[in-house]
Amino acid sequence: MKKILYSLLFVSLLAAIPTETQAQCKSFTKKTCIPNLDPYVYNGQFNSAQLSEGDVAELLLTFYSDQEYRISICNQANLGKVQFQIYDTEKNLLYDNADNDFVSMWDFKSNSTQQLIVRVTIPQEENRSGIVQTGCVSILVGFKE
Amino acid sequence: MRLTNIVFVVALIFLFSCDYSNIEDSNVDQGIGNDIEDTTHTKKVSKIFYNVPPPIEMTKLIQESGAEYIEDILNSPENQFKYLTTADAAINLGVYGADLSYTRMFDQIQKSISYLSSLKTLSDELGIPNDEGSMAVSRLEDNMANRDSILQIITDTYSNADAYLKESDRGNTATLVILGGWVEALYIATSLAESTENKVIIKRIAEQKYSLNNLIELLKFYKEDKTIAYYIPKLLELKEVFDKITITYTKGDVITNKETKMTIIDSKVDVIVNIEQIKEIHNVIIEIRNEMINL
Repeated sequence: MKKILYSLLFVSLLAAIPTETQAQCKSFTKKTCIPNLDPYVYNGQFNSAQLSEGDVAELLLTFYSDQEYRISICNQANLGKVQFQIYDTEKNLLYDNADNDFVSMWDFKSNSTQQLIVRVTIPQEENRSGIVQTGCVSILVGFKE
Repeated sequence: MRLTNIVFVVALIFLFSCDYSNIEDSNVDQGIGNDIEDTTHTKKVSKIFYNVPPPIEMTKLIQESGAEYIEDILNSPENQFKYLTTADAAINLGVYGADLSYTRMFDQIQKSISYLSSLKTLSDELGIPNDEGSMAVSRLEDNMANRDSILQIITDTYSNADAYLKESDRGNTATLVILGGWVEALYIATSLAESTENKVIIKRIAEQKYSLNNLIELLKFYKEDKTIAYYIPKLLELKEVFDKITITYTKGDVITNKETKMTIIDSKVDVIVNIEQIKEIHNVIIEIRNEMINL
């Protein structure tokens, strides 16, 4: 009987943990990341995910001309300093936060409407104990009213 | 410790040391979890978020263009009772969001409250908890004189709904909300452009060519959803019209003001579009939109 109970408990935990992890990501984004956009207005899009060391994520989004925007990259501390780069659709590098001490925000305005690619790279640390670090990363966009 | 206890503890340790990013990738909610080899970069992209600018941005640009407010083109809030399926409710949550953004941008406060009330009905239908945004109606009523508060409530409502749906493994439903909002915003813009031939709006419509491509990619990821599968060919038909518009991009300088930390991207984009193409887009979007709102 106990074996059955343990099995049931184990399966329940297995099913619950990913959902719990996602819920934590949402909570983290809401409490920690969205306030970083101030005084820009959050565009309401939830681009957040659990990423691990070495992972690369991209956001493709159109930005309108003559509008002021803020792109904010927000991650849980265990992932270290996350790199983000901005490319145009021809893969020209427009910005790299590695040139700017890995700041987490970028304010910009484009003279023409264009599609940009926000590329986020999670650093891979070599001196850790072998446990792959995983954490929530959010790519958020705000605009000026 | 008994053997079963040991097995249980070992299993738990294994469980907590797992990398869950792959599990989440398979959920595909937040974005697109497909692996794509980028030829210009050495690392593989493990997650791509395709997105389109929210209707609030498009309606802001419409208002800035000097266009007038025309209420008749909007979907009546009373139609909310027609949307009984999950798909209809999701699409029209997006549609009403675009309408609400438009009414708010033109300071139509009372109308904005009606739309937010419709949003609450549809949010409830979709099972979005009250604390996830649908209680915002009372906040709007409390702040009806404050334009900024309305904007805050709109973005709160949508960000909460988007996050809730994506994190509840309902990325397809969140995508339908995005689809409805984009189509309605484009419908509003083309309706105004057709009647006024406002050059600023015409250019803004042409620029939707970029977003349409992103939207199609987003939809393709959820093509197993029968409603999404239904709309993909319709958007491809719309894409054929947009493909007649020529947009030429030339990279320019990228200059950052060290004091304000504001960067200016001085790129150049030439858009070649005419009113006939806009009318063609309008005709296709009317068909799609009328189906969406059950006219």
